[in-house]
Amino acid sequence: MIRLIEIEVFKLFSSYRTYITFVIAIILMLIINLGFYNDGEELFDFLLQSISEYFFIEGNIINGYLISYLALNTLWVHIPLLIIIVTAYIFSSEFEYGTIRVLLTQPISRTSLLSAKIVSMILFIICFMIVVALFALVPSVILFDTGDVIVFIDGIQFIQEDNFLNRFFSTILFAIIGMVAFSSMAMYFALWFKNTLTAILISLGLLIVHTLLQKFVFGIFSTWQPFLFTYHISKWQLLFVNDIPFKSILNSVYFLLGMSIFFMSLSYYKFNKLNIS
Amino acid sequence: MQFIQVENLSLRYGNQDILNNINFFVTKGKIVGLLGPNGAGKSSVIKILAGLVFPDKGKLYIKNIPQPTFSELRQYCGYLIETPSFYPYLSANKNLTLIKRISKSTIDIDALLDKVGLAQVNRKKVKFFSTGMKQRLAIAQALLRNPEMLILDEPFNGLDPNGFLELKNLLKELSENGTTIFVSSHLLNELEQFADTFILLHQGKIAFNITKEDLIKSKKKIIFTFEESFSEETKLYLLNINGIFESDFKVILHLCPNEIAKTVNKLVTLKSTPINVETHTILQEKYFEITV
Repeated sequence: MIRLIEIEVFKLFSSYRTYITFVIAIILMLIINLGFYNDGEELFDFLLQSISEYFFIEGNIINGYLISYLALNTLWVHIPLLIIIVTAYIFSSEFEYGTIRVLLTQPISRTSLLSAKIVSMILFIICFMIVVALFALVPSVILFDTGDVIVFIDGIQFIQEDNFLNRFFSTILFAIIGMVAFSSMAMYFALWFKNTLTAILISLGLLIVHTLLQKFVFGIFSTWQPFLFTYHISKWQLLFVNDIPFKSILNSVYFLLGMSIFFMSLSYYKFNKLNIS
Repeated sequence: MQFIQVENLSLRYGNQDILNNINFFVTKGKIVGLLGPNGAGKSSVIKILAGLVFPDKGKLYIKNIPQPTFSELRQYCGYLIETPSFYPYLSANKNLTLIKRISKSTIDIDALLDKVGLAQVNRKKVKFFSTGMKQRLAIAQALLRNPEMLILDEPFNGLDPNGFLELKNLLKELSENGTTIFVSSHLLNELEQFADTFILLHQGKIAFNITKEDLIKSKKKIIFTFEESFSEETKLYLLNINGIFESDFKVILHLCPNEIAKTVNKLVTLKSTPINVETHTILQEKYFEITV
């Protein structure tokens, strides 16, 4: 099994596609930092217009931690998109190259092969999120220094400087769980359609539809919310509320883990029954 | 000794019968050719033997021992299934190393690449390989585990005459060293040159099955073409040996191998020397019957 995982990781990191997603993520983080470095003050003056009538803000509220927090907003669409480009490819590329026939004619079980691919997918997500975290945090701290953070979630939240990193890395951990759930869904579609592009389009379509439905929070639409995976993925924001609602966050963690297990189980079933034509 | 035996193999896709109660066996160390036109079901048989497709019915025996599934055969076999498949972004050497690690093989990859004539390009990325080179690499991939049996699906596709000759010699050499080979092809003439047994598949059923020995001994269809129309004497002689006249210049005879020379000699003495003699084996006849 370890040997199979090593091989899957080797294949993953031998493909230029993997590095392109890392480069795009790094560029994304650097653009956010450079954007705030150049026009940050003007942007914040504009954003704070409404509350400046009620609050007297002394000093500069722009600091590295705030920029890192703002960079986490890429978790809505950008990061999931980049991640599924690679994770869907891990599974469907074998069908596209025809190498699935070579792999399955070796004396290994289909379950072992899929397990190795799932482990390599999780390892990729962890690596990717660590790179995102580092490039969200390190350049912004270098450019803007550290400080207390003001965020707008259900009102204004003040996060103390020495409390920020715990919340930031907890968010990264939470995002890893969310991305594994989303990628498990993409993996299932990749096995079903045996095509990277179709798997990405369907997964992305579901991401967009769920994100849209999440905006309808009134009346009958509000009952949908707990069934939308984007609703649960977006719970990372609650880690930046003064009194963290751990119960609500844990519920979302359970939902996302359940979603991962559901799609992984479906994938095992599908893969073990699949006729390779 | 039978290496594998397949009983009542059936496969359906929807309402369509792809394979219908097929029975055959493969003798150890022999080359078995699976023949048939496109769509006959050859690839389906190969894919079932590779564990890629699950049959609806059928039993597999390996060395006379019944097996729970067809996937068990993978432990003994090297495969080439349809088009050669590789990771295009890796070199020939790296591609083989990956599969070597998965299959826990101990084979020397450089020696193997040398054997299939790819030693010079072993560091080249596969995406830059020609079809023939990929076909050779696929053969190397199939040989990675030093398998007791090789299962090859259309291995001659994309090979030039030299490539074909080299592959034919390699398969013969492997067979002489005890490797059992099961090879499917729609190229009858190529397969006739080196297979020991032939299985002709048509519409998911075995239409004909013959060993090379029986094929050599069996009557052949001979078409004689003459420059001039037959004399009465020649006509009488040809009618006596069951000749079928296609025209005034052409006659079809079914003769045993030892009768061919005798017949030609007789025709020469009758001053009717044929200008062209076309020979068809019984296998070729059956093949043409089902493809026409």
